[in-house]
Amino acid sequence: MAGSVDLIEGRSLPAAIGRPGPSAVHRLNPLTKATLATTTSVAAVVLGGLVGPLLLVAVAVVLPAIAAGVVGRLAKTALLLALPIALSAFLVNVFFFPGAETVLFRIGPITATAEGLGFAFEIMARIMAISGAVTLFYLTTRPADLVLDLERRGVSPRVAFVANASVQTVPAMVERAAQITAAQRARGLDTEGSPWRRVRGIVPIVGPVILGSIAEVEERTMALEARAFTRPGRRTLLWSPADSRAESLVRWGLLIGLVALIGLRIGGVLA
Amino acid sequence: MITRWLAALVGFIVVAGIGLVVGNFSEEQAGNSWALVAAIALAVGFVVYAGVEYAQTGGFASISSQFGMRTLALMPVAIAINIILGAAVANALKVPIYLDSIGTILVGALAGPIPGALTGFVANILWQYIIPPPFQGAVAAPFAIVAAVIGLLAGLFARYGALRPRPDRPMSQLFSGAVITVAVVGGVSWLAFLGYEQIIGPAGFEVASDETLFVILGWLALAMVAATVVGLIVLLFVRRDLTAAYVVVAGLVTGVVAALISAPISANLFGGVTGAGTDFLVAAFRQAGADIGAATLGQGLISDPVDKITTFFVVYLVLNAMATRTKARFPQGERLIEGGAEVAEEGDEWRGAST
Repeated sequence: MAGSVDLIEGRSLPAAIGRPGPSAVHRLNPLTKATLATTTSVAAVVLGGLVGPLLLVAVAVVLPAIAAGVVGRLAKTALLLALPIALSAFLVNVFFFPGAETVLFRIGPITATAEGLGFAFEIMARIMAISGAVTLFYLTTRPADLVLDLERRGVSPRVAFVANASVQTVPAMVERAAQITAAQRARGLDTEGSPWRRVRGIVPIVGPVILGSIAEVEERTMALEARAFTRPGRRTLLWSPADSRAESLVRWGLLIGLVALIGLRIGGVLA
Repeated sequence: MITRWLAALVGFIVVAGIGLVVGNFSEEQAGNSWALVAAIALAVGFVVYAGVEYAQTGGFASISSQFGMRTLALMPVAIAINIILGAAVANALKVPIYLDSIGTILVGALAGPIPGALTGFVANILWQYIIPPPFQGAVAAPFAIVAAVIGLLAGLFARYGALRPRPDRPMSQLFSGAVITVAVVGGVSWLAFLGYEQIIGPAGFEVASDETLFVILGWLALAMVAATVVGLIVLLFVRRDLTAAYVVVAGLVTGVVAALISAPISANLFGGVTGAGTDFLVAAFRQAGADIGAATLGQGLISDPVDKITTFFVVYLVLNAMATRTKARFPQGERLIEGGAEVAEEGDEWRGAST
């Protein structure tokens, strides 16, 4: 995780912290981007249908991505994220849509229907909007920036620590799993071959990974206690992402717009 | 103190009331929406409780006392376990279970209901927003409330001693434990079967057998259930550990609750399809003629209890592999140790000072 504060080892701040982002979108306050991603996702669900979510993708995902110059990476990452779900949604809905009557074609006992196809496209548009919005946020925001910004706003440093440490623990644990796999294979563990062999191989890998990680909790606890992490009072942040009045207005505008949209939907104005 | 609980209760009732009025309660969905409404109302009740405590005392002492440094250090590890295993199972294995709550249940067991609930909630939010791509989940955040309830239930089960080892019990106790477990599982299966007949119509076991795919999947699911059952029987009769029966009941209850809460979320947001191995089950139910809500609930009622029993079993094995002194240092650790209940009763007063 380049560009994150390493709270655990207590090393100094990496150079990336406090460095301005390459584009105006990157330089937006993290909370603004998180609000945009969340409202886009919720709005895509509330709007429903096909046109609404696609319009949202164009306005709230593709335009900012062009401004940030991350369209290529966005397309790749969002597609990888959405592909398994989209594929599954497509197959399940096209072939197993309850109550559908317009038959497109048959393969053996299963039938593809037009109603299912329509519903599948709606779900796919929705998933595209959600994964696009989240990926845009992910690509233009450093996790540490979001956490520092939340801490500046009064979120407990404990929550900030949990969020930050989780992000770092995921790759660390994957690396640990790779090391343990290599070590066990050197001792003769069979990780290829029949499914049964592979399933049996999981135990001597997952066991040490989980138990080893829990054993580390002890060391971390002492390290953090020794650095007075649990003392009362607020910490002074040396740096936190910039925020402005305009951005605050945009955030509230997005939230009010979302609430209005939900109100219209419940009120039956939007079909 | 009483004000907080009253305020929380009022918040719960208000939200539950709104949910019952606004909620979409058509005939088939009536059975699965109330659980979601209750979960959301519970979350609001918690927020109100915390808010009133903050207004009264300017802090969250009664909540944060459950969060020692040790608990905080455990939570990131638990979240990482959730995400890595959950992503691996959903993306690579394509089996109809999730295995994304081992960390949540572990924290619930070791640290208590509130840390467990927060671990589940935070894990699903982080999973969607800031975990790097190979592990990122596109549909995790809407299910955060389900994960929170799982952590809460795990914490409560462990608090009342469900995960304390009970080795070397006499054969008569083990036998009655096994009988009660089989009866509970059988009873719930029977209720589920009656439910399916209500939802889908006559559900004979020969209906699906003309399709090879579902027969294979059925066998796969059965094989996994069988593996867990064999493990539990080994636990029960070879190590003569009565806790195996508690593990099954805890997993079953948690699984059914999780299914009831998550089914309406999944059905309304994604049409029941989330890109994991569970989609095969949804397809099977739809092929049998169920509508989207019923198919999703049916999938949940199959996947979740199996998943949670397996998860509780794994967590119990992990807890047994941990050193006693390591366990005992966690807030709820005494309740996970053989003969630890008595120690916990008298330890409660001074424990707050030591963590």
